[in-house]
This record gives sequence, structure tokens and C-alpha cells, in this order.
Amino acid sequence: MKTETLRTVVDCLIPADEFPGAYEAGVCDYLLKLFETDLRDEAEFFNTGLDNIELEARARFGEPFASLTPAQQNITLEAIQHGDVLTSWQISPQRFFEMLVCTTAEGFYSEPQQGGNRDAISWTMTGFEDQVTS
Amino acid sequence: MKDYDAIVVGSGAAGGIVACVLAEAGKHVLLLERGRALSFADVGRDHLRNQRLAIYGHNAGPDLNGNPRVFVNPEGRERIVRPHELDYHNNAACVGGGTRVYGAQAWRFHPDDFRMATKYGIPTASSLADWPITYETLEPYYERAEWELGAAGDGQALNHQVPRKRDYPLPPVPPSPQTSALARGAARLGWITSSVPLLINTEPYQGRAPCIACKYCVGFACPTDAKNGSQNTVIPRALASGNCELQTNAIAASIDVDSQGKVSGVTYFVDGTAERHSVRSKVVVVSGGAIESARLLLNSRSPRSPAGLGNEHDQVGRNLQGHLYPRAYGLSTTKVFDGVGPGVTIATTQFNHDNAGIIGGGMLADDFIKPPIDFWYDSLPPDLPRWGIRNKEFMRDNYTRVLHVRGPVQDIPNPDGRVTVDLAVRDKWGIPVARLSGTTHRATAEAAEFMRERGEEWLRASGCEKVWSAHPGLILSGRQHQAGTCRMGKDPKSSVTDEWGRVHSHDNLFVVDGSLHVTNGGFNPVLTIMALAFRSGEYIARQI
Repeated sequence: MKTETLRTVVDCLIPADEFPGAYEAGVCDYLLKLFETDLRDEAEFFNTGLDNIELEARARFGEPFASLTPAQQNITLEAIQHGDVLTSWQISPQRFFEMLVCTTAEGFYSEPQQGGNRDAISWTMTGFEDQVTS
Repeated sequence: MKDYDAIVVGSGAAGGIVACVLAEAGKHVLLLERGRALSFADVGRDHLRNQRLAIYGHNAGPDLNGNPRVFVNPEGRERIVRPHELDYHNNAACVGGGTRVYGAQAWRFHPDDFRMATKYGIPTASSLADWPITYETLEPYYERAEWELGAAGDGQALNHQVPRKRDYPLPPVPPSPQTSALARGAARLGWITSSVPLLINTEPYQGRAPCIACKYCVGFACPTDAKNGSQNTVIPRALASGNCELQTNAIAASIDVDSQGKVSGVTYFVDGTAERHSVRSKVVVVSGGAIESARLLLNSRSPRSPAGLGNEHDQVGRNLQGHLYPRAYGLSTTKVFDGVGPGVTIATTQFNHDNAGIIGGGMLADDFIKPPIDFWYDSLPPDLPRWGIRNKEFMRDNYTRVLHVRGPVQDIPNPDGRVTVDLAVRDKWGIPVARLSGTTHRATAEAAEFMRERGEEWLRASGCEKVWSAHPGLILSGRQHQAGTCRMGKDPKSSVTDEWGRVHSHDNLFVVDGSLHVTNGGFNPVLTIMALAFRSGEYIARQI
């Protein structure tokens, strides 16, 4: 799995502010495990989508996705979300993006044992739990 | 293997009660449950794999593999679905059935829910009918369910609509911050509200602990066993009588008949073994839930019943119904979440009936505490970006400030919402699986739209400036509230059983569960399932 791409992408979806973003919370670890277990049948689809994010970034801005400015990254992701892609996709960009958004949120907001909500960051942030528990 | 007085298939809300009533009456009962007994740890607290949010799995059975169903969408396209998918319309498969993980809302149906056809007429293309019994007939059995399982509520609050002879044994759950906000809103509108009756111990009851107000109620098991289901009330009683044997992992394949066509027992497989048993009994009671009960009758074919038992008039499996759930959300100016569960505290039954231009209606209540990922999927405004900093900020700022009301809408049944069996698709024991097709009636969707508007109205009156909502659409509505597939009635041409659940064509075959519901009320149906089970159980005990 393209971990550098994934790391940058999940932080676009759930960016850091005064609370950590998705990467620091462990969402990449969550996703790596998810696509080896429950979603193993979708791993190839998901990896193809990540590859296409890179192709799309280079086609638009001539740089790897991680090297783009936050504004350029968001433009790229919004285009994929709406299927307005410049490159040739073998898969549905919209379906890929939906999976990306949902699985990232699942990791970040579900229980810490799943791996993407380290130290119950999102539960403290939302107020679901008053204090950090692990 | 010895003979039994009765074999009860399914240990959920109804089956547990029937087994208990029969066993305590001295009858020798075999209670078959296709799942197993699940401990608190077995059910767990997985936010992505539970009965409320089952993205990758669920926590109360059946296993994801080996238990397919076929779902036919409204355009006629078929696909095989697995138990955690919405279109599977799963309930649960474990000791206690759905009551192991339910929210335990303990509503009685409204007296008018039993006479829908008389009150509203029969809409075109619907199979709307009156029940063969009235609310007054069932009232003593509602009371029995409330007292023998343990219900908490305020009996006076709803007495004007649904009269009762005796109050609840337990006081209602205490109010939360959202309760007062919604109570003020309702008062502004002139709406009457009440607490929400729940089969939850708000005080110690029958030797079990009270609710500790945790955040994991509906969809999960109770850490203090304060949530009252079949598994911790009537089934232990049945077993303590010495007259009931509980066989778990028992997959009923067919109801057997003798050469005269009389029901003689049940054939079942034991999961995880090569065992296949044919056990004899004087009476068979089918309590598998509206989908599995219909499936079992349809799979019980014999020369005299080539279309399945009780299916002489092509009624078994028809009128599958449940509830559409319109829902509305509002952004409160103050924090309304205090982390105190179960979270459902206030309801209005103002709109269950007598709404101009609407057939039926429904109840509206606040909601159980939703884990953050459930909230993310369910509750965000449609104009909020689905990702990026604004999405995160909304979760950060507003998870504790969103007021939410929702409720079940009275389903107007139609014969095309149905369960059949698919001979080409088998489960891991080789038994043809349930095939679900059809949608609800247009009148149900109209009532849901009306209730969605009432939800928004309630939230605006409760001080929310930003309000949003969702309509479920015109979909098959079975799911956990599945009902209607072996409905009771006087005419064998338009019903499957009599008022006791006795299958018209077979004296010693009974269906007792939500399948019997002629209509499913604008309320959570479990207390009605339980009341019918007490009533039928008493009757069956007299017949053996």
C-alpha cells in the first residue's frame, strides 16, 4: 500500500488542529489492518485508487501528492470525489473516494482498540468521553 | 430420543415466554435456538460490528458465512446478502434473540392499532386488516409482560390514549439535558409528552442489578444485566422448572408431519456437528421471527402441503412489514449530551392516529446514545462537507449539541412485501434460504413524511435554529421490527393462524412471534410480541 500517499490523504480528510489529525491518531495503521482482514477483497481496488491519486496529482500539478500545497491537495481530492478526473481510472473514482472517506472516519471515530483512535483522541474531542481513556 | 409435549423453535422475545409458560404449567418442552448463549464479553463493544452499526459484522448472530438470504430490490434485481447487510433484515440469532441486544422500548400498541381497517378503510393495493382481538383482550398480557420481565415507565402519562389497569413495576429512567429542551418545545406546541417505557431495571428487580446509565444500550448487551430480555428472565425460569431443555446451535430444517398430515415434530441440525435429529412432540410452536418462521413453514413441504405448512391459500410469508424510521436533527444552542445512558427519555404519541389525510402515524422520541462513528454516519447535516476541517470541527463542536428525534411509523401492509424461499440458494446445512421482496405501501411513506415534518417542528420549537432530517424512502421495512408474515385472522383465505397463533390447517402447529401481527403499530413492537406470547402460551398449555 502506498503509505506516503495514504498518510497525506487521511490528514486531508481529518486534518490536525488542536486535536491530532487522522495520521497521528493511527488511521493508517487501522486501514492497513482493515484491508488485510475485513476488506481484503477490496485491497486491490483501494491500492489502485491510491495509485490514481498520485497520477491525478502529477497530471494536475506535476508533483507527488504529498508535495502539493494543502489547497492543491484539496482540489485534487474534490475532483476525485466528484469524478472530475483527468487521468484514466480503471475503477470508479467516486466509489473509491467514498470508501476512503468512510474507512478513515471509521478508524478515527471508533473505539481505540481498532487502532485509528489512539488514546481515544476523537472521543475526547467530541465529548463522547470526558477524559482520555486507553 | 424421547417425545416432548412441545417443541418451541426460537428463543427470542416470544419463544422464551412460550417455553416458560408451558414449562411452568408442567409441560415437557424442548426449546431450540439456532444461535448460542452470548456472554457480555461475547457481544462486546465493537463500534463497527454491532446490531446498530454492522459495517463489517455484528454481535448477536447469525455467522456472516453460511447464512445467506436473497434480497430482491424494487426494480426486481436479486442479490445474495449476508447477515450484517441492511437488506438482510437481520434480527439476531442467539439465546434471547433480539432481546439480547435490543433497546428494550416497552410500548403497548394503541387501541386503534388493532382496528386499522375499520378506522381508515383499506387503501388500494394494501392488505390492511383489523386484528381478530382488541386492545382490551391483550391488556392483561401487556401487564404480565411488564411485571414478569420488568418494565420502567410512567403509567399515568399515557393513560389518556392507552388505558392501563396497573402501573409499571419500575420508575422511568431519569431525564437528561435533552429531555427538558424537548419538553419545553413540546409544551410550546401543545403536545403531550411522556417518558419512554423501557424493559430496563431502573431499580433492583427480581434479583438483578439496576441500570448504571452506560453509553452502550441498543445494539449491545448490558454490563449489569439490567436490560430485561428472554435470556435473563423467562428462559432461566423455564429451565428452573425442570421441564424445559434448551438446545442451542440447533438449526430447524423442517416441521415434520405423519402419514395423516398431522404435525409430529421437528427435524434440526446441530451446528458444528454432523448431527441431525428428528424429535417428536404433541405440539410445535414456531417462534423464529417473521422471516425465519415463514421460511420454516415454507420449507416444511409434504405431499399434503406441497407449498409448505399452513400455506394452502398462499398467505405464509406475505405482508412482511416492520417500520420506516423518519428522523430529524437540530443544533441546540446548549450542550444536550451528558453521557448518561441509555439516552432515550422523552416521547410523544400525539401523532399515532387522527392525522388529517394520513393513515396511521407514529411515535416520536429522542434517541439512544450514539457512538461517535454512528453519529458520523447517521446524524450530520446534508450540507456539511463529508471530509476536511469543517467536518472535523462539526464533530468537535456539535456532537454534544445535536438534538435528535425519530420514531417508528405504522406500516400499511401489502401482500407483495414478502418472504419466499429460494430453492436455488441454500445455507450451510442445505436448507433453502429466505428470499425477501417488495416494498412498503405508499401510504406508509406518506405517514413517514408527515412524521419527519413533525420531528422538524418539534426541534424548531425546542430552540434549534438549524434543523435537518431524513426520510427513509419507499423501502421494505422489516429489519429488527419484522412482522406480519403469518398473520392472525378469522378467514383462512387472508390469514395463516387464528387469534391464538394456531395455524388454520393444523391443530397442533402454532406460530407465536411478530409474524402474527396483523399490523405493527406505530411503536416498537416487542411488548406486543411478548403479550401475545403469554396469551398463546396459556392457551397452548390448556390444549396439551
